[in-house]
Amino acid sequence: MEIKQTAIAGTLESSDVQIMLSQSHDGVTFDLVSDVAKQFDDAIKATITQVLAAYDVHNVLVKVVDKGALDMVIRARAITAVQRALDLADEPNWEVL
Amino acid sequence: MTEVIRDIYLTNAQQKKEWAAFLADLGLANFSEQELGGIEAIIGLYDDDRLVGTGAIAGQIIKYVAVCDRGAETKGARFNRVITALENRLATLGRFHHFVFTKPRYIASFEHIGFRLLAESDLGAILEKGSPDVTQYLADLPKPTSEMQRVAAVVINANPFTNGHRYLVTQAARENERVYVFVVTQDASLFHTSERLDLVKAGLADLPNVVVVGGGDYMVSYLTFPAYFMPADASVIDYQTTLDARLFKNLIAPACHITTRYVGDEPQSRTTAIYNATLARELAPEIKLVVVPRLQTADHTGVISARTVRQAIAAGKRHDWVDLVPATTDQWLQDHLASLQERIRKGQEIHGN
Repeated sequence: MEIKQTAIAGTLESSDVQIMLSQSHDGVTFDLVSDVAKQFDDAIKATITQVLAAYDVHNVLVKVVDKGALDMVIRARAITAVQRALDLADEPNWEVL
Repeated sequence: MTEVIRDIYLTNAQQKKEWAAFLADLGLANFSEQELGGIEAIIGLYDDDRLVGTGAIAGQIIKYVAVCDRGAETKGARFNRVITALENRLATLGRFHHFVFTKPRYIASFEHIGFRLLAESDLGAILEKGSPDVTQYLADLPKPTSEMQRVAAVVINANPFTNGHRYLVTQAARENERVYVFVVTQDASLFHTSERLDLVKAGLADLPNVVVVGGGDYMVSYLTFPAYFMPADASVIDYQTTLDARLFKNLIAPACHITTRYVGDEPQSRTTAIYNATLARELAPEIKLVVVPRLQTADHTGVISARTVRQAIAAGKRHDWVDLVPATTDQWLQDHLASLQERIRKGQEIHGN
């Protein structure tokens, strides 16, 4: 599916993550800022990529500001951001959830 | 102990007093009407009833960010909360790209939460966050071919496009293989951004090596740089023009292989004269600055200025503008005279630069 509008989810507070999704034409591109990037940037990207794939999103610019969020938090924020970006916020995708 | 975000309204005298006192405590004391004028929303972070953090939104600029860490659970937590609240507010307004102007010592704090530094000087810095950002702006610019050695740039507001602008660009086009004409994006002018851009394109359509592009958010008119956090004795115009020049030199010019920038000389405006001097200082040695003498009017009574054209529009005297603008601009002015005069009647300022 194509990103319909830029969308953001999450916060900049400790143990959270802020994810912004916007339109792109060349695959999934990450722009990641994290206090723990060295150890965990691959894990963070993998979690978000998984969510994007579940929604069939293959072209998107993903901007992430991570504040040490746990995997399930990243997943939840990613789902919210995708639903907003696809304009599906009122119709959750239960299979992904 | 919970800290909550609440709106602050400057129309409420008590709130305004408390807010101003809080900022003054932290070294922010410029509350000129000009700085406060564009503010759309102010939020406050409260620990019970004590104000411990604040920030404001003006268009796509985050302003007046100040946080007191006294009594905070962790350092930086309040700052991150204030910025989160401001960004969520911007998102609900459909804005996903914003800027902050701040003191150099706070650059790192903003970079930690995803801002990217665009330019800095001893006095201040400009950072951006969100999408589309400068990377995307630069990627979308048409690039010169690898054979082109001499690439120049001209930055104009063109409010509206005159023979003077055309003269400047023609000079550059004669001496270079490609010329980028960046039209400043700023809807504070009598002519809207899209109108100015269209008139520039129409007036230069016959020059094959000229590329006209919108300046995006990066050819910011330096006059719009906020200066509320500057000490009163600092040269605001110097800080503004230095940032503008560095942004051009470090980001825009390399992307398009620009080696020369052309400006008109400025016998009339002190501000523009300072701007040109700053450009010359900052762009050297990598980028050459060429100052082209301004085109005189046909009767040699003075230089061609867009301000004169605007005054002729206000007076409805085509006779006074027809010799100052290309035929394309003249035609457009005739077709839109009534609506332009309506804008002036509604209070659009026409006497500025």
